[in-house]
Amino acid sequence: MNVLERVSRAPVNALELANILLTTSDASTGPSAREVIWTHRKVTLYRYRSSRRSYPVPLLLVFALINRPDIFDLRPGGSFVEFLLEEGFDVFLVDWGYPDEEDADTGLDDYVCDELPWAIRETLRASGADELTLVGWCIGATLCAMYCGLQDRAASTVRNLALLTMPIDGRGSTYARWVGDPAFDSDRVAAEWRVLPGPVVDFANKLLKPVTNFWTTYRRLGEQVVEGTARRELYQPMAKWVADNPNFPGRAWAQWIQLMYRDGSLASGLYTLRGARVDLRRIDQNLLVITASADHIAPRAGTLPILELVSSEDVTHFDRPGGHIGLIAGSAAKRQIWPDIASWLAERSGA
Amino acid sequence: MTENGTGTTPEEQVRALYEQSEVETARAMEELVGKASFGSLMAAGAENVAAMVRIGSDVADLVLRNLRLAGRADITRLARQLNRTEDKLERILQEVEALRDELRRAEASAAAETER
Repeated sequence: MNVLERVSRAPVNALELANILLTTSDASTGPSAREVIWTHRKVTLYRYRSSRRSYPVPLLLVFALINRPDIFDLRPGGSFVEFLLEEGFDVFLVDWGYPDEEDADTGLDDYVCDELPWAIRETLRASGADELTLVGWCIGATLCAMYCGLQDRAASTVRNLALLTMPIDGRGSTYARWVGDPAFDSDRVAAEWRVLPGPVVDFANKLLKPVTNFWTTYRRLGEQVVEGTARRELYQPMAKWVADNPNFPGRAWAQWIQLMYRDGSLASGLYTLRGARVDLRRIDQNLLVITASADHIAPRAGTLPILELVSSEDVTHFDRPGGHIGLIAGSAAKRQIWPDIASWLAERSGA
Repeated sequence: MTENGTGTTPEEQVRALYEQSEVETARAMEELVGKASFGSLMAAGAENVAAMVRIGSDVADLVLRNLRLAGRADITRLARQLNRTEDKLERILQEVEALRDELRRAEASAAAETER
């Protein structure tokens, strides 16, 4: 294409780029059919029924508090849920919803001691199974690990525990340099803000890689439009998900800062919830830990201590190239990691 | 476009130069945001913004209250009461379900004994 052609196509390309960006929020996500099993406050438990269910042990997917769980079921052909259903798993998903000011007093203890056990209870009741597999991702994985390290009954109801890019000690991360200083009064910020607004959390996450997130992504998209290789069906669902940030309840956020970026008390076994110690050595389930080599949100070094702490006899660790989200939800995930996760689950989900 | 001695066009060279500078800038910015001093700046900024948001919210609520309209604080208070009610209902529901399960098990074992 010569310069004249490029100049003449510039208005068309600009229109297309603008159209992709402006219609991102209209992109459809969540292609898999699901039904509501249980609700409590803002929390909803969904069930995705497999037409070829082969395994009696259901999966319960648990995602982070700072993004939507839609990432598990992003787009047709790029949905982890869809893949699991095709593999024959009965899939449940707990959605934490969009907390608002009235949920400001919701803490990690509420998620770990109430919402998660209740979602597990409802999953077991709905599926008719005695045991399930917990699949946690990011903060969701930490909540699952805390539940298994806290609850005695977890031993009898959770058969398998899969932890995807999970932080348990973030003291070496960039976040720790931002909020780890005790001079930063996170309790006061939480009290004043009540809930950390989703866009603020999103901005902070993007600020970890400012040039990449605020410029390179859009520059690359622009280039793809010019070259005619832009694929809006891939770009838009992910961009929509990235921009869809629920609020972080103030109390839970302040607890998270203390636990993850100041004390490191989860890894050291000193963390307590409602007076009970969260002891990761209690984790004796079949354990799958997945880390991403280029994870800047939950750096690998902050996850690896779990391997030394648990008392599980069956421990598998996949360490793969990729980022915090891209590893599990990127366009290559379907080929590179989902089959490995499914085969790990299949071996441990029989009657 | 004519090729130069290196086998790449001037346009490709410019693009490579730009991409290299972008990578370098990205690295420098990541180093910058990773510094403790940047963290202190962020923390102080967050505290200030939170305080301003709170003041703005309180003022807006005061205005609405003086106009005898329900403000955000009133709606939040109501929603919290609904939350508490829902919590109680959930716990009652769980108790009822547990009792129902227990009754079912008792009935099943009684039926099994009668058959014997």
